[in-house]
Parts: sequence; structure tokens; C-alpha cells
Amino acid sequence: MAISVGIGLSTDKDHLQAAKEAIRQARARLAKDKIDLALVFSSVEFAHPAVIKAIHSALGEIPVLGSTSLAVITNEGIFKHGLAVVLFNLPKGVTFSAALVKEIRAKTLPASGEELAVKLLRDIKDTYRDFALIFCDGLIRDASGLITGLQERLGKSFPLVGGLASDDLSFKRTYLYFNQGIFTDAAAGVLWAGRLHFGSGVKHGWRPLGKPRHITRSRENIVQEIDGQPAVKVYEEYFAETIEQLRKDLKRISVFYPLGIYLAGEKEYLLRNILSIEDDGSLAFQGDVAQGSLVRLMIGTKESCLEATYQAVQDVKRSLGNKKISLALVFDSASRYILLGRQAGRELDIIRQGLGEDTPVIGIYTYGEEAPLRELYYLGKTYFHNQTITILGIADQ
Amino acid sequence: MPELKFLMEYVINIGGLIAVATVVGLSMVVATKMQAIKKLQSDIADLKKSLDEMDEQAKLVVRTDIELNKTQEELDKKIGGLYALQRFSRVISTALEEEQIFRRMDSNHLEDLGFEKACALLYSEGQKTFSLKLTFGFEAEQIHGVKSFIDGHLNFFLDLIRREKTLSSISASIDTPAKDRLTHVFGVHSFIISPILPKEGDKGLLFVGTQNPDAFITEGEEEVITILANQLGQALENARLFEKTWRQHQDLEKKVEERTRELTAALEEVKKISQRKTDFISSVSHELRTPLTSIKGYASILLAGKLGQLPKDVYERLDKINRHSDELAHMVNDLLDISRIEAGRMTMKFEEQNLNHIVAAATDLLSVQAKEKQIELSTGLPAGANAVFADKSQIERVFINIIANAVKFTPPKGKIKIISHKTDNMVQVDITDTGCGIPQEAQELIFEEFYRVDNPINQEVKGTGLGLALVRHIIEAHKGKIWVKSKVGQGSTFSFTLPIERAAL
Repeated sequence: MAISVGIGLSTDKDHLQAAKEAIRQARARLAKDKIDLALVFSSVEFAHPAVIKAIHSALGEIPVLGSTSLAVITNEGIFKHGLAVVLFNLPKGVTFSAALVKEIRAKTLPASGEELAVKLLRDIKDTYRDFALIFCDGLIRDASGLITGLQERLGKSFPLVGGLASDDLSFKRTYLYFNQGIFTDAAAGVLWAGRLHFGSGVKHGWRPLGKPRHITRSRENIVQEIDGQPAVKVYEEYFAETIEQLRKDLKRISVFYPLGIYLAGEKEYLLRNILSIEDDGSLAFQGDVAQGSLVRLMIGTKESCLEATYQAVQDVKRSLGNKKISLALVFDSASRYILLGRQAGRELDIIRQGLGEDTPVIGIYTYGEEAPLRELYYLGKTYFHNQTITILGIADQ
Repeated sequence: MPELKFLMEYVINIGGLIAVATVVGLSMVVATKMQAIKKLQSDIADLKKSLDEMDEQAKLVVRTDIELNKTQEELDKKIGGLYALQRFSRVISTALEEEQIFRRMDSNHLEDLGFEKACALLYSEGQKTFSLKLTFGFEAEQIHGVKSFIDGHLNFFLDLIRREKTLSSISASIDTPAKDRLTHVFGVHSFIISPILPKEGDKGLLFVGTQNPDAFITEGEEEVITILANQLGQALENARLFEKTWRQHQDLEKKVEERTRELTAALEEVKKISQRKTDFISSVSHELRTPLTSIKGYASILLAGKLGQLPKDVYERLDKINRHSDELAHMVNDLLDISRIEAGRMTMKFEEQNLNHIVAAATDLLSVQAKEKQIELSTGLPAGANAVFADKSQIERVFINIIANAVKFTPPKGKIKIISHKTDNMVQVDITDTGCGIPQEAQELIFEEFYRVDNPINQEVKGTGLGLALVRHIIEAHKGKIWVKSKVGQGSTFSFTLPIERAAL
């Protein structure tokens, strides 16, 4: 027996109708009676308790997970307004557990990561554990902390793939779906065990520019000094702008020219978006930047971005040894959506061409991605990323 | 111990020599190293210099790139705006109802223009108030706030319509009284309001706005929204025109329906009256026939001289009574036949007949009268048997009536010709004379009861005005048609059709 997946999507403005329609389609495509797990992704206006309640009650007592997104990606296209449901029918010998942690800011992210891992492990103690799929609130400030916490319990090189929920680029509120509820300030995950294969590809396509610099003082996600000077100075110099001007233009600068951390042995730099510029000249990033790291200013173009998408697709295929992929889950950085503008659809074209038109694809735009830096079975360590397209392929044994 | 002293001196000397040599050697090594270090240092300086230069270049690249990105973004926005505008116009220009126009507008199109909030207002001159025709992106409570804000600033909004002016958060001057409150109430960061100005009927306003603090309204966007509002105005105008035309059409149809109903009722009434007339004629004719028979009987007895010889003038008057009663009997019979046919009470004996025989019988009967006026009476029927499916005696009456008329109205030495030919499954008979002809306006009427053409012959020769009416009834009872073609002074052709087979009946 093999894993079966059914995807349904609706753009009906009546949210309850949309949920019903998406489930109906997904059920029809799944063509199996037994449903083990559902993933739900939607644009932010669908995030209403009544919607997820309707989905949960329509599917019965099965775990439901998901998140909001700037747009929903499926084989059929990229939908700025819509709701997609993915239903799973799992073969024998595949088990999973699902869990949610609330109030992650108050608990701190490392502690929340640990709590999530503990909850996930509770149901899956004895079996060999493969991999965890992670969703998280998109507006947290130290996203690396969640991974650190998870790794504390699951193992330093345990493969994690996931993304941070997004909204309509207003950066006001992002939501997670979990069973019967919708949550902000939360993280959720699915821990998998058994006879499935997971392969991932993570690439961004940004290139280093200018001279290398050293992080001389930093703590977690706050960089105080670069080359012995206030961190913001680098950006002031490059853009010939004052702090005020930089702040005004920060969203654009952060997306188009992130900071890249050099990682020995890796082809690409690890990217970090700036969240804010502090008054003392420190820069707050979304993920951690270790003291002593070598960093460079990064620059991306549409072409390099799309080339990276192609590479990520190839990595997924390679890591699964060209097995038939039952489902491709895409976590695509919202930054790429902004950079690519009217060409955003080309990423989906590349994915469909690379994986084959009949491979089911589902995806969301994210405010940050989690993925191992080398292919999964290399025991690569998972990092927090910005600006990447992260593709997870699920295949049968 | 001079040897020892010498030895010591020797050793010291040697040591000194070695020391000196070492110092000299070391100095030389240091000097070489120093040179290498100097070279390295200069290399590093060179590298650092080129790195710095490269970094300067990088700065230029970044600054150019960010400008390029901004331009690209604006361009994308403009292209997106134009696409959205095009889609908008396509959907609204084909809407035929006012409500449909607003229903068809899609929030997705609006988002492509960069706005997630919108509303359309129409001002009703009658009710002196704005009504919301469309809202996108507003929550229920907000809509309420928006509505009361508009009601509270009626003049401000009416002024925009009156001045036909587009207002936006950049073009509105800071002292525009409502600007700050407007952005607050509508819950937007930037906005554009443009008047909707159809030529007729209620005018209105289109409001679009965005909460995104990074979005800045450009003149280009102002233009796009103005065009959109114009198109809305145009669409409204079209829809209203269509509605008006449609309503007129509806009214017309209603009227036609009413008239039809009236006419149908009138027709029913006429039918009833006609029925009553037929009944009346039928019963009167019956009643007349009995006394008429006895009048005629007595007149015949008297005229035969069975009751003694009559004086000449009595005989003459009695003869007139006899003739007039004959005519009257004729008339009564015709009337009775007509009413019978009309009422469907006349039983026709439809059988296959040879038209040649019927025509021969009729012409035979009338040949004496024709001869008297030296009229050439001829027939030109196709050779062989010409079969028709008809009641023999009735069709004979038809021929006799028409030929007798022809003889009557044709001056001496004229011609009468009877011909026939087949059309589909009917036979058409044409009886042509060289008579005085029938005026155009009378041609239809001669087949009606009691109609007589006003001409000198008719004034002289007596007639009932029932002959052709009876003929028409007989032909129609055979599912045939009868008509006349005539020119005054040249003659007439009476044509009628008769079925060939039973199936045509």
C-alpha cells in the first residue's frame, strides 16, 4: 500500500462554502475512505474559527494542521484568495503525532521548541523517527530559537522542515490552524515515523556583494557591531542613507539586500532579513547571527532567484533518489513573491516542470523557512532561513 | 699558568668570533625576512586597496540596483493597473442592469490596482442621500461608520460630484476639512475618490483605499481610478438606457396583449351576432317559404285560366306577382342555403366528379341566353377526364352563378371562356369574360351577402346580391378559394379551386 494524497482548493468568497468545496474536491481526488491527516492552507481572510470548525467536523476526529499565507500555491496556480485542503491516507507502518504550543513569545522560543518536541515525542516514543514538519507564527523575532529548542529534544541533526505563516504583507497577524481552532503566537508540528521518505531542497539565489565583514559583537538575533562599528553603519555606507531614511525604506532593503552569513562547505550563504534598526545602531534580524561570523551584503535578481528554484527542485529529486514523489510541500519566502512581482508564477512552472505535471503540489508563502542545510540523509543540521524556496518531497518506500 | 691563560684567551677569541659571525648571520636573516614582510605588507595593502575599491563599486551597484528595483516596481504596478482596468471594463461594460454592474466588480481586480478597500456611492436626488452600492474590505461596523460620516459631510461629497474632481490623499490639501477624519473613518492610509458621472440619473462616487502604510498614491494611480470611475458612469448610463428601452418594450407588449384581448372579445361578439343573424335568416326564410308557395300556387292557377279568363290588365299584374314570387323564392332558397352552409348544416355529398360533365351541363343551360346576346361561350379544359372531388349539384350552382353573371355583364358579341389547370392537389378553374369589369375597391366585397356593384347594368337588371356569396360559401365548404381579377371596361376573370382527392378536404 502506498501513501495517497488529495488536494482541494476553493476561491469562493463565502468562506464556509469554500471549505466545503475544497474538502469535496480533496476527497474526490483522494479516492479513499480513510483519512488520517489534513493540512489546511488559506489566505488570511479565511482565518475564522467557524471555518476551521467546519473543516474539522466535516472530516471527523482527525488531526488538522496548517497556516495562513500571502497566497496559496497548488498545481493549478497561485491564489491570493483561497483555501486549500490536503488529505492524507497513510499506508501501514507509517505513524505520526501532531502537537501545538501556545503563547510562544511569553515562554521564549527555545522553551517553546522544547515543549513542542516533548509533546510530539509523547505519542511516538519507540518507533524510529524520521522527520518533523513545523509551522509557526510568522511575526516572531527570534525564529532560530524555536529550532534550537526542538533540536535540544529531537537531536542536533534531526531533520526539520517548515515555515513561518504569513499574512497579506501587512505584517499584522498570522494564524496557525490546529484541529478545531485558529491560533496566533503559536507553533505546531507533525512528527513522522515509519516507511516514508522525505527529501528537501532549499535555495535562495542571492549572491554576495562587496567585501567580507566580521560580526564583532552579537547576541542571538541582535547584531550590535560589524567590524568594530555599529552594525547599521554597513547599510548606511552602502545605501548612502541616514538611519531615518533606512528605516523608511527598510522593508525593501531587507528583502532585496539581506545579510548573508558565510557557512564553510555550503554553496549558498545563510540569509537574514533585518526586522528593525535600533537606536544604538544595532540591527535586529529574524534569525540568529553568531558572533565571529563572516558576513556579506547580498543581492538577488529575478534570474538568480528562478535559477535557485530550479536547483531546489533538483535537490529534492536527488535526495529522494528519483523515487516517485507523492506530494511536494513548498515553503516559498514572501520576499521572493515581492522580488519576482508579476513573474511569481514562473516558480510554480519550474516546480511543475521539474517534478512532473501530475505530482501534487501544495505550498504557502512564508516569513521564514526551516530546513536542513544539506540533504536530509546527510544528517545535515536544520537552520532558520530567509528568502529561500524550501521544497519538501514525500515519497513511498 | 700562561697556557691556561692563552687557552682561555683563545677560547674567548674563538667564541667572540663565533658570536660575531652569528650576529652577522642573524642580522642578515632578519634583513631578508624584513624585506619579505615588507613585500607581504605591501601586497596586503594592495589587496586591501582593491578590496576597498571593489566595495566602493559594490556600493554603486547596490544604489543603482535599488533605483532599478523601485522603477521596476512602479512599472509593474502600472502594468498591473492597466490589466486590472481592462478586466474591469470588460465585466462592467457588458452589464445590462445597474445592480449587475456593481455585483460584477471583483475585489481581486481591485487588489491588482493596489487597493483592498473600496466602496461605490450613488446620490439619490429624490431622497437627498447617498446609498452604498458596493463595499469591499470593510467590516460591518466600519460600513455603518462610513455611512454616517458621509451623511454628516453631505456637502463635501456632493461638491466632489459637482466639481467633477478626483480627490486623493496626496492631492487633498492638509486643510481639506474631512481628510484626517476620512482616513480614520474609512480605516485607510491612502485613498482616491473619483466621481461617477452618468449623463442621466443619479450620480455618485467611487472610493478606493489601502491600509498599507508603504503604498504611496501616484498620479498614475489617480488617473487609473478616474478612468475606472468614468467607465462606471458610462456603464450606468448604458444600463439605464437599456432598462428604459426594455421597460418601453414591456409596456408595448402589454398594450399589444390588451388590444389582442379586446379584439378577441370583439370577434367573439361578432361571431355570436353572425350566428344569430344566420339563425334569424334561416327561420325567417322558412317562415317565408310557406306563404310564398301558396301565393305562387294561386297565381299559377289564376294565370293558367283555370278559374276563368282574366282581363288583360289583371293578367299582366298577376304575371308580375308570379315572376316576383319566383324571384323571392329564389332569394329565400339562396339565403337558406347560405345559412345552412354557415351553420354547417348543409350536407355535401362529396364524390369524385368529372369536371368536364359539370361544365358541359352548366354551359348547356346558359347557351340560350348567351346566344341571345351573341356571346361566344367556349371551354378550354385539358383533354381527358378532369377529376375533382366535390358535391355535383353545388358545384353546378357555382358554375351557373358565375357564368350567368358573366352573360349578364358582358355586352353583346362578347366572349366568355372557361379553362382549368392543375395546381398541386387542386384544380383551378378560370372563367373569363369581356364584360364591364369590377372596380378595384369592389373586388373583395362582391363575395359578401347583399353587396351589389354600383353600375348601370345592375341598376337595370335585378339581382339579389346573394349569388356570389353563396358561391363563396360552397367553394369554402370544399376547402377551396375564390377570387376575382378585373379591370373596368376590359372584363373579369373569376377563379376558384377545387380538390382533386378526398385527402385535401
